[in-house]
Amino acid sequence: MSDLEQLVDELGRRSLESRLGRRGFPDAFDGDLWRNLEETGLSRLTSAEDAGPTESAIVLSGLAKHAGAVPIAETDLLATWLAGRAGIAVPAEGPLTAVLADAEVHDGRITGTAHGVPWPRSAAVVVAARTADGLYVAVVDNPPTEDSHNLAGEPRGSFAFDLPADDVGTLDRHVADEFTRRGAWARCVQVIGTLDATRDLTVAHTTERVQFGRPLSKFQAVQHSLAEMAGETERARAATALAVAAAADFGFGSAATDYAVTVAKVAVGRAVGSVTTIAHQLHGAIGVTVEHRLWLFTMRARSWVDEFGSTAHYARRLGRMVLTADDPWRVVVSCPEPR
Amino acid sequence: MTIPAAVARSLVSWPVTEFDALCANDSELAALRTDIREFVVADREEFGWRPAVDSWLARWDAGFSSRLGDAGFVGMTIPTEYGGRGLGHLHRYVVTEELLAQGAPVAAHWFSDRQFAPSLLSYGTDEQRRVMLPIIAAGRMYAAIGMSEHGAGSDLAAVKTRANRVDGGWTLSGTKVWTSGAHLAHRIVVLARTSPLDPDHRHAGFSQFIVEMDSPGITVDPIVQMGGEHHFNEVTFDEVFVADADVLGSIGDGWRQVTSELGFERSGPERILSTVTLILETVRALPDDVDDGTAAAVGDLVARMISLRQLSISVARALAGGEDAATRAALVKDLGTRFEQDSVESAADLLEHVDPLLPESARLWELLTAARLHSPLFTLRGGTNEVLRGVVARGMGVR
Repeated sequence: MSDLEQLVDELGRRSLESRLGRRGFPDAFDGDLWRNLEETGLSRLTSAEDAGPTESAIVLSGLAKHAGAVPIAETDLLATWLAGRAGIAVPAEGPLTAVLADAEVHDGRITGTAHGVPWPRSAAVVVAARTADGLYVAVVDNPPTEDSHNLAGEPRGSFAFDLPADDVGTLDRHVADEFTRRGAWARCVQVIGTLDATRDLTVAHTTERVQFGRPLSKFQAVQHSLAEMAGETERARAATALAVAAAADFGFGSAATDYAVTVAKVAVGRAVGSVTTIAHQLHGAIGVTVEHRLWLFTMRARSWVDEFGSTAHYARRLGRMVLTADDPWRVVVSCPEPR
Repeated sequence: MTIPAAVARSLVSWPVTEFDALCANDSELAALRTDIREFVVADREEFGWRPAVDSWLARWDAGFSSRLGDAGFVGMTIPTEYGGRGLGHLHRYVVTEELLAQGAPVAAHWFSDRQFAPSLLSYGTDEQRRVMLPIIAAGRMYAAIGMSEHGAGSDLAAVKTRANRVDGGWTLSGTKVWTSGAHLAHRIVVLARTSPLDPDHRHAGFSQFIVEMDSPGITVDPIVQMGGEHHFNEVTFDEVFVADADVLGSIGDGWRQVTSELGFERSGPERILSTVTLILETVRALPDDVDDGTAAAVGDLVARMISLRQLSISVARALAGGEDAATRAALVKDLGTRFEQDSVESAADLLEHVDPLLPESARLWELLTAARLHSPLFTLRGGTNEVLRGVVARGMGVR
């Protein structure tokens, strides 16, 4: 493990252990973990520190592996980045979140409704309002939120916004595509962390749990299910590794990253169903209880794969990419030029 | 003045990125990829062979193998002193996947190139290498691999073929089955017992022998597949004399020799791409304006192929770097061959959207038929998926 991996693992582990048995619906923001991330410079790694997607991926997957209840991807990769692009100020400290919403401009006001905002009551919200002619960016504090949460209890919310058009950052509409790509990229990386945790828990459980006089892991049917789980996870990891390399080499705005994220989103999306189903099957009924930690990971994985575009959405995109390519094999082998 | 393509490419400076490396597309590999593609297209146009599914088992074409050898694309990892090009495993990977993607008839030299040459390089004597490696690299030697027997399929340690010590060598007796291409091969590599079975050490006492197929005492009988194709054989050895000089590696070390390099064989592109011609030709024949559900089906199929290829390349890179990647190699074969099987029915579903009046439609149905007949083999050959999952489970520490 690198120093960075070790640090992230230690912070994540401490957070997970200290909150066991107290996780629920909705899950509470972990202020202690956040303070640790700020003190170590990990909270805004790519925006404030001299680090890129490779390091960011270590932080995101490492914290996901311990179900860290903080908007880490939202703060660094989305909110701070987008505010910087739009030339608007965000608070220098504290968690941030971000949302892309369709909007309309009328009489000097930009109006719309933001849906699925992560951690809306724990962070200042950077709203990216997409209209027919542009992308308008503003910071909204304490919006009047309708609260909800995802399957894992992570807070999500929606709110209507009404922004003065002369007091927002203005960007090209296509920046919204990079916003979505960054979000999808981050979720793929985070899901890998949850799948690793899911596999570790399942190996541990089947090794310890004794039925018919022997550990579950000694049954061949169980071994084959574990192998299936490992396979799907490694396949998803390989696709995600390509997306991480693409972002590190060419940036999030590139065609190469678009290609690799599209592939990864489908590969990860399809892996989640299989891995989480097997994990719950092998855990037996204990795995669906709130007191067991399995759901912190399986339900995060299930929720996250639907964000920033569904698996089916990206499958259609990749399908169209292949169908319109001069030679579909070139799309298999790499991202066709220009990248 | 026109600059030859190969020269023009060498003038371009290729940016080396991690992304390109993960795609097996960095600098030299990208140039090599272009070279082999151009070679295959030109060869197909000149000689008129048609892309096949599962071509590494099903398409034997001595002429193609020798032309491929002459162009330097066979035995690429063989050192130059033995007539090869002294290139790395990733070079071979790129050439292999491009050949499979175009459904090229590679069966004749396949086992020489994939198994026999690496075995000779690891365990062969200098004399054996000097005699055989140059012919392999020329694409003119066909090897069969004699492993399975009637009573030894997944449980290879149950092999009963015996080698008895005689003056100056050994005599082989026993029967091998499922031996691909033995009816056309020049040599067969035989795994045999050289000491009696020790129930406590079942893997001990095996040795490997290189046997000329025209040796007295060898009988080859066809094992015909459903559909009528003949690739497999039953090979019977009746007191076949093998000189000491034709022992491969060390007596008693056979098990380690046959298992030590399984990683390359299990994780190679042929574990993902046996149906690739069916997939690619079906996609090419689809109209651009298919409905969303069909586009998603194409995307799902291709995402699976790309992600498996990424996994396969990561294992190839690890193995080339000398790492132990045995567990992940077994994973690739399990996942890859199941993808191959699933892809046949996915392609069948997509074929519904191909205009039956298109000239290529009949051809696509031919590929589909061939794929359906070969499909059960994908998850059997070279170790069943049940065995592979056991290997993976062991790697996870639960077995």
